[in-house]
Amino acid sequence: MSIVRMHKIAIIGLENDKEDIIEELMNIGVLHISDVSGKLQDENWTELVNIEENEEEIFQLALDIEKIKASLDYLKQYDKGKKALFAQKRTVDISKFNSIIENKDKIWEAVELINSMDENLNKLKQEKNKLENSINSLSPWKSLDIPVQLTGTKATSIFIGVIPASYDVNSLKEQLKSEVEESYIHIVSEDRDQIYIVAICHKSRADELLNVLKNHGFNKVVFKEMTGTVEQNIQNSKHEILKIEERITSLIKSIDDLCNMREDIEMLYDYLVVEKDRKETLGRLLNTEHTFIIEGWVPETEIDYFKESTGKWRWDCYIHISEPEEGEEYPILLENNKLVQPFEVVTEMYSLPHAGEIDPNAIMAPFFFMFFGMMVSDAGYGILLSLVSAIAIYKLKPKGMLEKLLKLLLLCGISTIIWGALFGGWFGDIVTQITGGKVEIKPIWFNPLEDPMKLLIWSLIFGGIHLYAAMGMKAYDAIKKGRIWDAIFDTGFWYIFLTGLALLLVGGKAGTIGKYMAIIGAILLILTQGRAEKNIIKKFTKGVGSLYNAVGFMSDVLSYSRLLALGLATGVIASVINTIGTLFGFNIIGVIVFIVAFFVGHIFNLLINALGAFVHTSRLQYVEFFGKFFEGGGKPYTPFKINTKYVNIIKNNKEKGERKS
Amino acid sequence: MKILEVLLNGQFLALLGAAFAVIFAGLGSARAVGMVGEVAAGLVTEDPDKFSQTLLLQALPGTQGIYGLLTAFVILFRIGIIGGTPAELNTVQGILFLVAALPIAVVGYKSAIAQGKTAAAGVGIVAKRPQELAKAITYAAMVETYAILALLGSILMVFGIRV
Repeated sequence: MSIVRMHKIAIIGLENDKEDIIEELMNIGVLHISDVSGKLQDENWTELVNIEENEEEIFQLALDIEKIKASLDYLKQYDKGKKALFAQKRTVDISKFNSIIENKDKIWEAVELINSMDENLNKLKQEKNKLENSINSLSPWKSLDIPVQLTGTKATSIFIGVIPASYDVNSLKEQLKSEVEESYIHIVSEDRDQIYIVAICHKSRADELLNVLKNHGFNKVVFKEMTGTVEQNIQNSKHEILKIEERITSLIKSIDDLCNMREDIEMLYDYLVVEKDRKETLGRLLNTEHTFIIEGWVPETEIDYFKESTGKWRWDCYIHISEPEEGEEYPILLENNKLVQPFEVVTEMYSLPHAGEIDPNAIMAPFFFMFFGMMVSDAGYGILLSLVSAIAIYKLKPKGMLEKLLKLLLLCGISTIIWGALFGGWFGDIVTQITGGKVEIKPIWFNPLEDPMKLLIWSLIFGGIHLYAAMGMKAYDAIKKGRIWDAIFDTGFWYIFLTGLALLLVGGKAGTIGKYMAIIGAILLILTQGRAEKNIIKKFTKGVGSLYNAVGFMSDVLSYSRLLALGLATGVIASVINTIGTLFGFNIIGVIVFIVAFFVGHIFNLLINALGAFVHTSRLQYVEFFGKFFEGGGKPYTPFKINTKYVNIIKNNKEKGERKS
Repeated sequence: MKILEVLLNGQFLALLGAAFAVIFAGLGSARAVGMVGEVAAGLVTEDPDKFSQTLLLQALPGTQGIYGLLTAFVILFRIGIIGGTPAELNTVQGILFLVAALPIAVVGYKSAIAQGKTAAAGVGIVAKRPQELAKAITYAAMVETYAILALLGSILMVFGIRV
C-alpha cells in the first residue's frame, strides 16, 4: 500500500534532435511530462524561452481523426463480418504497421469514399421518400383518365379538385342541376376526409359553376409539373423508385466491399492519434533558439529501465535525474497487491492522494468488501454478480479503470455470497417457497428479517470500527510526519473517551469501567484539544467545545444503519418476487409465471440493489471514512506513451513487456 | 353507522398506511425520475454516448418508490394479507400501522424530489466532466440517506407493533 516515489527528470537537448527524442521517449513510455506553461510567466524564464506554435497542425490532425472515426462508425453499421461481442485489440508487427501506413493515400481514398457514400445514400433515400409520397397523394385520382394538365376543351372548362367530406355531394349535384344545367360532375373517389371530383361545364357557365362549387368548400387541385394521366404518372414514379432501390443496393454492396479495408482504416486512426499526442507534447515544450527542455517524472520502479534506454541514445543531450524535494508534489502512481488493486477505483473516483499522504486503499478495501456484501446480502445474487464479472473479465480482457471495476464487482460478489449464506438469503427464500415450507436453508448466523434490531446493533458496531480505523489512519499519518503527540492527543484520547461512552451503553460491569474511561478521556481531551491557542481561557473553552465532536461521531455511527436498511430491502423484495412467482401453484401457467417472475424480478432486484450498495458503500468511504483524515488532490501519473485504440504495435515479433500505467 | 365501522376497522387503517407508503413515495420517485430524465434527454441529444451514465443518475431517485413498496409489503405480511390469514386488528393497532407508514410516505416523497433535483444537476457534471460521474452520484446519494433513515424508522416500527 503505497504511493510510488517518483524521480524528477530534466532533459535538455538540441532543437534538431527534438522530434527524434520525443519519438523515442514515446517508445520508452514511462516519462510523465510536466506542464511547464507556468514558467512562461516566470520573469527569469520568459526572456529565454518560448513555446512552439503548432496548434494548427494539431487541429488538422483532430479533423482528420474525426473524419476517420465517422467512416468507421459508418462501416460498423454495414459490416456483416463476424462481430465479436467483446472486441479485443489486435496485435500488429511494427514493420507491417509501417508498410500499411505508407499506403495511407489509398486508405484515405477509402475513407473519403465511405463518407461520401453516407451522403449519397441519404440523398437517395430522400428521393425515394419523395416519390413514395407523391404516389400516395396521387392514388385517389387513379381512375381519372384524362390528362391532368387539361383545363378545358374547345367548348368546355374542366375543374379538378376536392371538397371536404363533411359537405353533401347530393345537394351539390341537385343545386348544379337547377342553377348550372350545362354541367357534369364526376366523383373520382372518396375517403374519410375528402371527396375527389371532376366538374365539366360549358365555357360560358364556368364562373357560375365555380361559385356553386366554392359554396360547397371546393378546392382546386393543381398537379405541378405533371403531364399525362394519373395512372401514367404513378407508373413513372414506381419505375423511378425501382431504379433508386437498385442504386441503393449497389451502394450498400460497394460498402460491403470496403469493409475489408476496415482494419487498415483502424490502423490509420491509431497512427494519427499517436501522431497527435506527439505533436501536442511538442507544443508543450520550452524552447530556446537552439535547445529545448523537457521536465517530468519517472516512477522509482521504472527508473533503471529509463536510464538504460536513454543511455543508448546517440544524440547530444543532457539528462538530469534527481529526487523530489521535501514536500514537493509529484504525479501519483499507486502500488497495491492484487487483492487491493481493484478497490483503487473507488479512491480514484473520489480523488487520488497527494504525494505527502498515505494511500488509504489497503485499509479501505476490507471495509468496502464487507459493507457491499452486507447491503446486498443474498448468496444467489452474489453468485450471479461474480459469475457475470468473471465472464466479462475473461472475455473482454479489459485494461485500466474497467478492469479494476469488474474485478471489484467480482470480489464484492464473493462478499455477497458470504453474507447471503450468513443471513440465509438464496434468491430470497426461494427454496422455502418452492417446496411449500418443507425445506429451508437455515442461515449460518441469523435471519435479519426475524431480528432486525440485532443486525442494527451489529451495523453500528461495524460502523464504529470503520470510524476507529479512519482515526487510526489520521494518527498513522501524524506519526509518519513526526508529530507523535498529535497522534496521541487527537486519536488516542478520543479512543479512550469514545470507547468509554460505548461501554456505558453496554451497562453492567463494563458500564462502570466505561464511566471512568469516559471521564478520564473527557478530561484529557479538555486539557489537550485547545493546545493551539495561546490564551489559557481559550485553551480551556476550546477543549470543552471539542467534546461536542462526540455528537458528530454518534451521527456518523448512525449513518451505518443503512447497512441494515439496504440489506432488508434486498431480502424483502426478493421474497415478494418469490411469493408472486409461486402464486399460481404447480401447473403449466404457474411454472411459466414463476420463470418469468424469477428472471425479470430477481435481475431487476439485483441491478437496483447492486447499484444502491455500490453507491452507499462508496458514500460510507467518502464521507465517513475519508472525511476523517484524507486530503486528496493528487494528479494521476500519465506516462507519455503510444496510446492506441485498435491495435497493439509490437517490435520484431517480440512483445514488449506490459508496462504499468 | 356502517361507514364509521369501516373507517375504524383495524385492517382498513393498516391497509391505508400501506397505501400511503406506496402512493406518496411512488409519486415522489416518479416525479424525480421524470425530472432527471428530461434533463438527461437534453444532454443525450447532443452526446448519445452519455446514455448509460445519465441512466445511472436517473435510477438514483427511483429507490424511494421501492422503499415505499417495501414498507407496504412488510405491513401486508404483518397483518396477514399476504402469506397467511388476515389478522384481527383493533382500531388502535390499525392506527399504529398507519403511523408507522408515515415516515417513508412523507420523507420518501420529499426526499425523492430533492434527490431528483440533485441528480438532474449532476447531469450537468456528466455533460462537462464525464470522468467526475462518481461525484455527481455521491451528491445524490447524500440526499438518499434520509429516505433510508425513514425506511428504517418505518420498518422498525412495523416490526415492533404487536399483533
